Amino acid sequence: MADLVFPPGLDAAKLAAAKRAFAAAVGTANIFFDELDRDSYADKFAVDDAHHQPLGAVAPQTVEEIQAIVRIAGQYRLPLWPISRGKNLGYGGSAPMLSGSVVLDLSRMKKIELDEENGTVLLEPGVGFYDLYDFLKSRGLKYWLSVPGNSWGSVVGNALDRGVGYTPYGDHTSKICGMEVVLADASLVRTGMGALANSPTWQLYRYGFGPAWDQMFVQSNFGIVTKMGLWLMPEPESMMGMDVEFDSPEDLGPLIDTLGPLRREGLLQQSPTIGNWLRAAAILTTRGEWTDKPGALSDDVIAAIRKKFGMGWWGVSLRLYGREGVNKAAYAILEQAMSALKPMSLKSATWLRGQPIEPTGWTGTPLTFPMQNANWHGGRGGHIGFSPILPQSGARALEQFHRTYARYKEFGMDYQASFAFGERHLINVNAVLLNKDDAEMMKRIDPFLRTLVADSKARGYGEYRTHLDYMNTVAATYDFNGHALHKLNEKVKTALDPAGIIAPGKSGIWPAALAGRRSK
Amino acid sequence: MKIFPIILGVAASAAALAQVAPRRPAIPLDGKALFQEKCAMCHGPAGMGTGLLKRRVQPAMLEQRTDLAAEYVITAARTGIGNMPAIPRGEASDAQLAVIAAYLATQKAPAK
Repeated sequence: MADLVFPPGLDAAKLAAAKRAFAAAVGTANIFFDELDRDSYADKFAVDDAHHQPLGAVAPQTVEEIQAIVRIAGQYRLPLWPISRGKNLGYGGSAPMLSGSVVLDLSRMKKIELDEENGTVLLEPGVGFYDLYDFLKSRGLKYWLSVPGNSWGSVVGNALDRGVGYTPYGDHTSKICGMEVVLADASLVRTGMGALANSPTWQLYRYGFGPAWDQMFVQSNFGIVTKMGLWLMPEPESMMGMDVEFDSPEDLGPLIDTLGPLRREGLLQQSPTIGNWLRAAAILTTRGEWTDKPGALSDDVIAAIRKKFGMGWWGVSLRLYGREGVNKAAYAILEQAMSALKPMSLKSATWLRGQPIEPTGWTGTPLTFPMQNANWHGGRGGHIGFSPILPQSGARALEQFHRTYARYKEFGMDYQASFAFGERHLINVNAVLLNKDDAEMMKRIDPFLRTLVADSKARGYGEYRTHLDYMNTVAATYDFNGHALHKLNEKVKTALDPAGIIAPGKSGIWPAALAGRRSK
Repeated sequence: MKIFPIILGVAASAAALAQVAPRRPAIPLDGKALFQEKCAMCHGPAGMGTGLLKRRVQPAMLEQRTDLAAEYVITAARTGIGNMPAIPRGEASDAQLAVIAAYLATQKAPAK
C-alpha cells in the first residue's frame, strides 16, 4: 500500500478527526479515502505518478455542504482541491496541485435552471456537456451548445479553465454571466447583478455595479464557484461552411493571414482551428500500423498516412451561423478567399433548420471520440498540453511552427498541434501524445515541455492554460515589473485565504504561508 | 453518421421565465438509465470507448456484449483499463456502479 502523502501540518490523527467531521457534514457514503479512491482521483495522464497525489475526496451536493466542508478544512488546515467533473485531462484532470490536498468533487451537483426566453442557464458545477445537451434536446433544442473537442467534462469547469469550442460562442469564459462563490471563510458571494437580492437580471448583465469579479474566479483559487450563469447561442436558421485541406506546412502562414482579417471584421464569427494532419490521424489510426521506428515520424511515413486518409498537412473547418441570406453572401466571400490559397481540397457544408443535424463540434454536439488519440502509441496513452498565445500573424505562426516542430524532432516526439483563432489572438495548442508504457519516452516529456515553455517565453509568448506540472513555471514567465501581477495575485490569495484552504498552487498562486511551495 | 434521433422543428413551449430541472434521485436503480447517464458518452455509438474497443473486440458496444461479468465491469471502471480512465466514486457511487454492472452483465445473446 502506498504511503499517504500529508499536506504541511497534518498528521494521521488530525486526518481521522477531519474525516469524521466531513462524514457528519455530507454522510459517510460521500467521503472517499481508500487507496482505490486516491488512485481514481489521481492524474490519469501523469508524466510522473509521484506528483500531485490526492489524500482523498469529499463529494457534497449542496452549497451548504460546501460551506460546512470549507469550515472543517479551515479548522484542520486541510487544503481542498475543487473539481467540477475533473475531466480536463491533459492539464491534470482531478488531481491536486499540492499533494495531500483533499479533492472537493462537485460532480454530484447537477442542477440546471433555464431562462428559455433569454437563452441563459444557471448551472451547478457537476453539469456535464452531455447533461446540458440532453436537457435542451428534451425541450426541442431551441439553443445550441458550444462544446470542447472532448466533451465529457463540466460546462462550468471548462468555462472556468477558459476552454474553447467551435461555434460563435466558442470562447466559453466570455459567455459567463454571474456566479455564486464560496470563499475560504465559508461566506457566500454572488457576482454581478446577483449581488442584488432577487434580481431578474443576474444572467443578463455581467458587470453589476462597481468592480466586476467574475474573471477573478476563473483559473484562480480565490473561491469555489457553486453556480455559474452562461449564455447560449440561439439555434441558427442556417449553417454553411467548408472543410479545407492544405498540402504544405508553409500554407499555414497565408491561411492565417487570410482568416485573421475575416475574423476581426466579423464576417467569420466562429473561431476556427487549423489542425495538423496528426490531430485528425491520431483519432483514426495507431502509430504501430505505420512504423516501428522510434523518434519523430519520418516524412515518408507522414506522406503515407496522409495519402491513406486524404488529409492535408493542415486542415481547417469554417462555419457561418445565422440567417440563410446572410450566410450565402458570406459564404461566397469565404469561398473566394479560400480558393485563392489553392487548397488541396475544399468541401462545402450546408444545413438548414429542420434538416438532420451533423453531430459535430460545429453544431455544438458533445463528442468524446477525439480522445481516441490517447491510443496513438498503442499503450496506456494520454496527452499533455502546451498552449502559448500568439498574435494573428502568419509569419509569427510559421516561425512558431518551425521552431516547435524542430524541438519535437529533437526530443523524438510526433508533432500534433493546432492554431486556434480567437477574436484577436491565436492559441497554438499542442497536445503532446505520450505512452505511459514507454518509460524511455516518459523521461523525455518533462525536459521537452520545459524547453517549449522557455522557447516561447524568449519570443514574449505565454501560455493560456497549463498542466499542474508547469503552473509555477508558466506563472513565472509573466514577469513584467518584477512579476508584479503574480505578486498581486498572491497578495489577494493571502488576504482571502491565508491558510491556503482553496486549491493552493492553482495557476502558480500560493498564499504567503505556503510560499515555499512556489519553487517545487 | 447519425448518432442521435434529433427532432428539430418541434416548437418549444411558451417561454417560461425559469425552468428548473428536478434533482435526480440519489440512486436511480434503472441500469439502462444509469448507463446512459454515466457511460454512454464514451460507450455509445460514436464514443471514444466504442471506437477504441472496435479495434480489438466485437461487438464494441458494451450494451451488445454478452460476456461481461459484473465484477469485471466494476473493476474496469474503478481502476481504469487501457485508455479508459478510472471513474471515481464521486462520479458514480458504488451502488450506482453495481446497478450498471448488473445491467451489462445480464445482456444475453439473442436466442438462435
